[in-house]
Amino acid sequence: MVDILSYLGYTLTSFGVLFLLFGALGILRMPDVYNRMQAGTKATTLGAVGTIMGVGLINPEWFFKTLIISLFILLSNPISSHALARGSYRSGIKMWQKKDIDAYEKAVQESEENEEAA
Amino acid sequence: MRKAIAVLFLGFIGYYLLSTFLLVPFGVVRVLEGVGLKYLQDGLQQTGAANLVTSIVVNYRGFDTLGEVTVLFLAATGMGALLYSKRPTERARQNASIIVKTGARILFPLIIILGAYVFIHGHLTPGGGFQGGAIIASGFLLMFMSYRTYHVNHVILSRVESSAGSVFVIIGLLGLAYGSSFLANILPLGTVNTLFSAGVIPLIYVAVGFKVGAELTALLDTMLQTVK
Repeated sequence: MVDILSYLGYTLTSFGVLFLLFGALGILRMPDVYNRMQAGTKATTLGAVGTIMGVGLINPEWFFKTLIISLFILLSNPISSHALARGSYRSGIKMWQKKDIDAYEKAVQESEENEEAA
Repeated sequence: MRKAIAVLFLGFIGYYLLSTFLLVPFGVVRVLEGVGLKYLQDGLQQTGAANLVTSIVVNYRGFDTLGEVTVLFLAATGMGALLYSKRPTERARQNASIIVKTGARILFPLIIILGAYVFIHGHLTPGGGFQGGAIIASGFLLMFMSYRTYHVNHVILSRVESSAGSVFVIIGLLGLAYGSSFLANILPLGTVNTLFSAGVIPLIYVAVGFKVGAELTALLDTMLQTVK
Protein backbone atom coordinates (compact mmCIF):
# COMPACT_ATOMS: atom_id res chain seq x y z
CA MET A 1 0.00 0.00 0.00
CA VAL A 2 2.76 2.40 0.99
CA ASP A 3 4.73 1.37 -2.10
CA ILE A 4 1.83 2.13 -4.41
CA LEU A 5 1.40 5.52 -2.79
CA SER A 6 5.07 6.40 -3.17
CA TYR A 7 5.12 5.25 -6.82
CA LEU A 8 2.07 7.42 -7.45
CA GLY A 9 3.86 10.26 -5.69
CA TYR A 10 7.02 9.92 -7.80
CA THR A 11 4.90 9.82 -10.98
CA LEU A 12 3.01 12.95 -9.95
CA THR A 13 6.24 14.75 -9.02
CA SER A 14 7.86 13.90 -12.38
CA PHE A 15 4.70 15.11 -14.13
CA GLY A 16 4.89 18.39 -12.20
CA VAL A 17 8.59 18.86 -12.91
CA LEU A 18 7.90 18.31 -16.62
CA PHE A 19 5.28 21.06 -16.58
CA LEU A 20 7.60 23.41 -14.69
CA LEU A 21 10.18 22.80 -17.44
CA PHE A 22 7.55 23.59 -20.09
CA GLY A 23 6.69 26.78 -18.25
CA ALA A 24 10.35 27.85 -18.19
CA LEU A 25 10.72 27.07 -21.92
CA GLY A 26 7.55 29.05 -22.62
CA ILE A 27 8.83 32.11 -20.80
CA LEU A 28 11.99 32.00 -22.92
CA ARG A 29 10.32 31.23 -26.23
CA MET A 30 6.87 32.90 -26.39
CA PRO A 31 6.52 36.06 -28.50
CA ASP A 32 4.64 38.59 -26.34
CA VAL A 33 3.75 39.46 -22.75
CA TYR A 34 0.42 37.67 -22.69
CA ASN A 35 1.74 34.43 -24.15
CA ARG A 36 4.69 34.45 -21.78
CA MET A 37 2.34 35.13 -18.91
CA GLN A 38 0.17 32.14 -19.64
CA ALA A 39 3.26 29.95 -19.96
CA GLY A 40 4.64 31.28 -16.70
CA THR A 41 1.42 30.92 -14.71
CA LYS A 42 -0.77 28.14 -16.13
CA ALA A 43 2.05 25.65 -16.62
CA THR A 44 3.68 26.48 -13.31
CA THR A 45 0.38 26.19 -11.42
CA LEU A 46 -0.04 22.62 -12.62
CA GLY A 47 3.68 21.95 -12.14
CA ALA A 48 3.83 23.29 -8.59
CA VAL A 49 0.62 21.54 -7.54
CA GLY A 50 1.84 18.26 -9.07
CA THR A 51 5.25 18.48 -7.41
CA ILE A 52 3.88 19.42 -3.99
CA MET A 53 1.06 16.84 -3.99
CA GLY A 54 3.55 14.21 -5.16
CA VAL A 55 5.72 14.97 -2.13
CA GLY A 56 2.59 14.66 0.00
CA LEU A 57 1.94 11.19 -1.41
CA ILE A 58 5.54 10.07 -0.87
CA ASN A 59 5.32 11.18 2.78
CA PRO A 60 1.67 10.54 3.72
CA GLU A 61 2.03 12.31 7.09
CA TRP A 62 2.56 15.60 5.19
CA PHE A 63 -0.47 15.05 2.95
CA PHE A 64 -2.76 17.51 4.74
CA LYS A 65 -0.14 20.27 4.75
CA THR A 66 0.61 19.81 1.06
CA LEU A 67 -3.13 19.87 0.33
CA ILE A 68 -3.40 23.28 2.03
CA ILE A 69 -0.35 24.61 0.16
CA SER A 70 -1.79 23.39 -3.16
CA LEU A 71 -5.15 25.01 -2.44
CA PHE A 72 -3.37 28.28 -1.68
CA ILE A 73 -1.44 28.08 -4.97
CA LEU A 74 -4.62 27.19 -6.87
CA LEU A 75 -6.31 30.28 -5.39
CA SER A 76 -3.53 32.82 -5.58
CA ASN A 77 -1.68 31.99 -8.81
CA PRO A 78 -4.61 32.39 -11.29
CA ILE A 79 -5.87 35.51 -9.50
CA SER A 80 -2.49 37.22 -9.58
CA SER A 81 -1.88 36.30 -13.22
CA HIS A 82 -5.33 37.62 -14.11
CA ALA A 83 -4.57 40.91 -12.33
CA LEU A 84 -1.19 41.19 -14.09
CA ALA A 85 -2.64 40.46 -17.53
CA ARG A 86 -5.53 42.89 -17.03
CA GLY A 87 -3.14 45.55 -15.78
CA SER A 88 -0.81 45.18 -18.74
CA TYR A 89 -3.76 45.23 -21.18
CA ARG A 90 -5.18 48.38 -19.63
CA SER A 91 -1.81 50.12 -19.62
CA GLY A 92 -1.66 49.56 -23.37
CA ILE A 93 0.90 46.83 -23.94
CA LYS A 94 0.49 45.62 -27.51
CA MET A 95 -0.27 42.04 -28.46
CA TRP A 96 1.80 40.00 -30.89
CA GLN A 97 1.42 41.20 -34.49
CA LYS A 98 0.25 37.81 -35.78
CA LYS A 99 -2.68 37.61 -33.35
CA ASP A 100 -5.98 36.32 -34.73
CA ILE A 101 -8.53 37.73 -32.33
CA ASP A 102 -8.71 40.12 -29.38
CA ALA A 103 -11.70 38.80 -27.45
CA TYR A 104 -11.15 41.05 -24.46
CA GLU A 105 -11.41 44.24 -26.57
CA LYS A 106 -14.78 43.03 -27.93
CA ALA A 107 -16.01 42.20 -24.44
CA VAL A 108 -15.01 45.64 -23.13
CA GLN A 109 -16.79 47.34 -26.08
CA GLU A 110 -19.94 45.28 -25.57
CA SER A 111 -20.10 46.03 -21.87
CA GLU A 112 -19.66 49.75 -22.59
CA GLU A 113 -22.45 49.62 -25.18
CA ASN A 114 -24.69 47.85 -22.70
CA GLU A 115 -23.98 50.54 -20.13
CA GLU A 116 -24.84 53.25 -22.65
CA ALA A 117 -28.09 51.49 -23.59
CA ALA A 118 -29.10 51.08 -19.98
CA MET B 1 39.50 59.61 -21.07
CA ARG B 2 36.61 59.17 -18.64
CA LYS B 3 36.17 55.58 -19.75
CA ALA B 4 39.85 54.88 -19.16
CA ILE B 5 39.61 56.36 -15.66
CA ALA B 6 36.48 54.30 -14.97
CA VAL B 7 38.18 51.10 -16.10
CA LEU B 8 41.25 51.89 -13.99
CA PHE B 9 39.06 52.62 -10.98
CA LEU B 10 37.08 49.39 -11.41
CA GLY B 11 40.30 47.42 -11.75
CA PHE B 12 41.63 49.03 -8.58
CA ILE B 13 38.46 48.15 -6.62
CA GLY B 14 38.34 44.66 -8.12
CA TYR B 15 41.96 43.95 -7.22
CA TYR B 16 41.51 44.87 -3.58
CA LEU B 17 38.14 43.06 -3.28
CA LEU B 18 39.67 39.93 -4.78
CA SER B 19 42.75 40.07 -2.58
CA THR B 20 40.51 40.46 0.48
CA PHE B 21 38.27 37.55 -0.42
CA LEU B 22 41.23 35.31 -1.29
CA LEU B 23 42.34 35.62 2.34
CA VAL B 24 39.08 33.93 3.46
CA PRO B 25 39.54 30.16 3.36
CA PHE B 26 37.02 28.69 0.91
CA GLY B 27 34.89 25.69 1.82
CA VAL B 28 36.18 25.39 5.38
CA VAL B 29 33.55 24.77 8.06
CA ARG B 30 33.93 27.76 10.36
CA VAL B 31 30.76 27.28 12.42
CA LEU B 32 32.26 24.77 14.82
CA GLU B 33 34.63 27.18 16.52
CA GLY B 34 34.41 30.25 18.69
CA VAL B 35 31.11 31.86 19.57
CA GLY B 36 29.05 29.81 17.06
CA LEU B 37 30.00 26.56 18.77
CA LYS B 38 29.17 28.09 22.15
CA TYR B 39 25.65 28.99 20.97
CA LEU B 40 25.14 25.55 19.43
CA GLN B 41 26.21 23.74 22.60
CA ASP B 42 24.63 25.87 25.32
CA GLY B 43 21.78 27.63 23.51
CA LEU B 44 19.14 24.99 24.03
CA GLN B 45 19.80 24.55 27.76
CA GLN B 46 20.11 28.26 28.47
CA THR B 47 17.14 29.59 26.50
CA GLY B 48 14.87 26.57 25.89
CA ALA B 49 14.09 27.72 22.33
CA ALA B 50 14.08 25.01 19.66
CA ASN B 51 14.82 27.64 16.99
CA LEU B 52 18.40 28.66 17.75
CA VAL B 53 18.24 31.74 15.51
CA THR B 54 15.37 33.10 17.58
CA SER B 55 17.22 32.38 20.81
CA ILE B 56 20.13 34.49 19.54
CA VAL B 57 17.97 37.32 18.16
CA VAL B 58 15.65 37.67 21.15
CA ASN B 59 17.64 36.32 24.08
CA TYR B 60 21.40 36.73 23.63
CA ARG B 61 21.04 39.87 21.50
CA GLY B 62 17.64 41.04 22.74
CA PHE B 63 18.87 44.58 23.36
CA ASP B 64 20.04 44.79 19.75
CA THR B 65 16.56 43.67 18.61
CA LEU B 66 15.00 46.42 20.72
CA GLY B 67 17.26 48.85 18.83
CA GLU B 68 16.13 47.38 15.48
CA VAL B 69 12.47 47.79 16.45
CA THR B 70 13.21 51.40 17.38
CA VAL B 71 14.93 52.01 14.02
CA LEU B 72 11.87 50.63 12.21
CA PHE B 73 9.60 52.83 14.32
CA LEU B 74 11.68 55.93 13.52
CA ALA B 75 11.67 55.07 9.81
CA ALA B 76 7.88 54.68 9.81
CA THR B 77 7.45 57.95 11.70
CA GLY B 78 9.76 59.83 9.35
CA MET B 79 7.97 58.40 6.31
CA GLY B 80 4.60 59.42 7.74
CA ALA B 81 5.88 62.93 8.46
CA LEU B 82 7.26 63.30 4.92
CA LEU B 83 4.22 61.94 3.11
CA TYR B 84 1.52 63.51 5.27
CA SER B 85 -1.02 65.55 3.35
CA LYS B 86 -4.16 67.17 4.68
CA ARG B 87 -6.44 66.70 1.72
CA PRO B 88 -7.48 63.10 1.07
CA THR B 89 -6.03 61.86 -2.21
CA GLU B 90 -7.26 59.20 -4.56
CA ARG B 91 -5.50 55.87 -4.35
CA ALA B 92 -6.00 54.35 -7.79
CA ARG B 93 -7.75 55.42 -10.94
CA GLN B 94 -9.34 52.10 -11.83
CA ASN B 95 -11.20 49.53 -9.82
CA ALA B 96 -9.78 46.05 -9.54
CA SER B 97 -11.78 43.38 -11.35
CA ILE B 98 -14.40 41.28 -9.57
CA ILE B 99 -12.08 38.25 -9.65
CA VAL B 100 -9.35 40.07 -7.75
CA LYS B 101 -11.85 41.50 -5.26
CA THR B 102 -13.41 38.12 -4.45
CA GLY B 103 -10.03 36.42 -4.29
CA ALA B 104 -8.67 39.09 -1.96
CA ARG B 105 -11.66 38.65 0.36
CA ILE B 106 -11.00 34.89 0.54
CA LEU B 107 -7.21 35.15 0.87
CA PHE B 108 -7.03 38.02 3.38
CA PRO B 109 -8.02 36.03 6.53
CA LEU B 110 -5.76 33.14 5.48
CA ILE B 111 -2.78 35.49 5.13
CA ILE B 112 -3.47 37.05 8.55
CA ILE B 113 -3.66 33.57 10.13
CA LEU B 114 -0.35 32.61 8.48
CA GLY B 115 1.30 35.77 9.80
CA ALA B 116 0.01 35.14 13.33
CA TYR B 117 1.19 31.51 13.12
CA VAL B 118 4.67 32.61 12.04
CA PHE B 119 5.17 35.02 14.94
CA ILE B 120 3.51 32.85 17.62
CA HIS B 121 5.72 29.89 16.65
CA GLY B 122 8.86 32.02 16.30
CA HIS B 123 10.70 30.05 19.01
CA LEU B 124 9.85 26.67 17.41
CA THR B 125 9.96 27.04 13.62
CA PRO B 126 11.79 29.36 11.19
CA GLY B 127 10.35 32.86 11.28
CA GLY B 128 9.42 35.24 14.02
CA GLY B 129 8.03 38.66 14.83
CA PHE B 130 9.54 40.55 11.92
CA GLN B 131 8.59 37.95 9.31
CA GLY B 132 5.07 37.46 10.70
CA GLY B 133 4.50 41.22 10.82
CA ALA B 134 5.65 41.56 7.20
CA ILE B 135 3.23 38.78 6.15
CA ILE B 136 0.34 40.54 7.91
CA ALA B 137 1.23 43.83 6.23
CA SER B 138 1.29 42.07 2.84
CA GLY B 139 -2.27 40.83 3.52
CA PHE B 140 -3.35 44.42 4.14
CA LEU B 141 -1.51 45.48 0.96
CA LEU B 142 -3.64 42.98 -0.98
CA MET B 143 -6.78 44.59 0.41
CA PHE B 144 -5.50 48.12 -0.33
CA MET B 145 -4.82 47.19 -3.94
CA SER B 146 -8.13 45.38 -4.45
CA TYR B 147 -10.49 47.89 -2.84
CA ARG B 148 -10.06 51.58 -3.56
CA THR B 149 -12.05 52.60 -0.49
CA TYR B 150 -10.47 50.16 1.99
CA HIS B 151 -8.80 52.16 4.73
CA VAL B 152 -7.26 51.33 8.06
CA ASN B 153 -7.79 53.29 11.25
CA HIS B 154 -4.46 54.95 11.96
CA VAL B 155 -5.38 55.75 15.57
CA ILE B 156 -5.91 52.07 16.39
CA LEU B 157 -2.74 51.13 14.49
CA SER B 158 -0.58 53.63 16.35
CA ARG B 159 -2.06 52.47 19.69
CA VAL B 160 -1.30 48.82 18.85
CA GLU B 161 2.20 49.86 17.80
CA SER B 162 3.00 51.85 20.93
CA SER B 163 1.52 49.32 23.35
CA ALA B 164 3.46 46.48 21.67
CA GLY B 165 6.67 48.51 21.93
CA SER B 166 5.90 49.22 25.60
CA VAL B 167 5.34 45.49 26.25
CA PHE B 168 8.83 44.80 24.90
CA VAL B 169 10.42 47.42 27.18
CA ILE B 170 8.31 46.36 30.21
CA ILE B 171 9.39 42.72 29.79
CA GLY B 172 12.97 43.95 29.69
CA LEU B 173 12.50 46.04 32.85
CA LEU B 174 10.83 43.09 34.64
CA GLY B 175 13.94 41.09 33.80
CA LEU B 176 16.01 43.85 35.39
CA ALA B 177 13.79 43.87 38.52
CA TYR B 178 13.37 40.14 39.13
CA GLY B 179 16.25 38.63 37.16
CA SER B 180 19.87 39.39 36.59
CA SER B 181 19.85 41.96 33.79
CA PHE B 182 17.73 43.88 31.28
CA LEU B 183 15.65 41.41 29.19
CA ALA B 184 16.73 38.49 31.39
CA ASN B 185 14.42 35.49 31.38
CA ILE B 186 12.06 35.50 34.38
CA LEU B 187 9.63 32.74 33.34
CA PRO B 188 10.14 28.94 33.58
CA LEU B 189 11.70 27.47 30.44
CA GLY B 190 9.17 24.63 30.11
CA THR B 191 9.50 21.62 27.83
CA VAL B 192 11.56 22.20 24.69
CA ASN B 193 9.62 22.19 21.40
CA THR B 194 6.20 22.93 22.90
CA LEU B 195 4.24 26.14 22.41
CA PHE B 196 4.60 27.31 26.02
CA SER B 197 8.36 27.11 26.33
CA ALA B 198 11.46 29.28 26.15
CA GLY B 199 10.38 31.74 28.85
CA VAL B 200 9.82 35.30 27.65
CA ILE B 201 10.91 34.73 24.02
CA PRO B 202 7.36 34.02 22.65
CA LEU B 203 5.92 37.03 24.53
CA ILE B 204 8.56 39.35 23.05
CA TYR B 205 8.08 37.93 19.56
CA VAL B 206 4.28 38.31 19.71
CA ALA B 207 4.79 41.95 20.71
CA VAL B 208 7.31 42.45 17.88
CA GLY B 209 4.89 40.81 15.43
CA PHE B 210 2.06 43.17 16.37
CA LYS B 211 4.39 46.16 16.23
CA VAL B 212 5.95 45.38 12.86
CA GLY B 213 2.58 44.45 11.34
CA ALA B 214 0.93 47.69 12.49
CA GLU B 215 3.91 49.83 11.45
CA LEU B 216 4.22 48.39 7.95
CA THR B 217 0.44 48.51 7.39
CA ALA B 218 0.29 52.19 8.35
CA LEU B 219 3.32 52.88 6.16
CA LEU B 220 1.77 51.16 3.13
CA ASP B 221 -1.51 53.02 3.57
CA THR B 222 0.28 56.37 3.77
CA MET B 223 2.43 55.63 0.73
CA LEU B 224 -0.45 54.41 -1.44
CA GLN B 225 -2.61 57.40 -0.57
CA THR B 226 -0.11 59.99 -1.61
CA VAL B 227 0.87 58.34 -4.88
CA LYS B 228 -1.20 59.88 -7.67
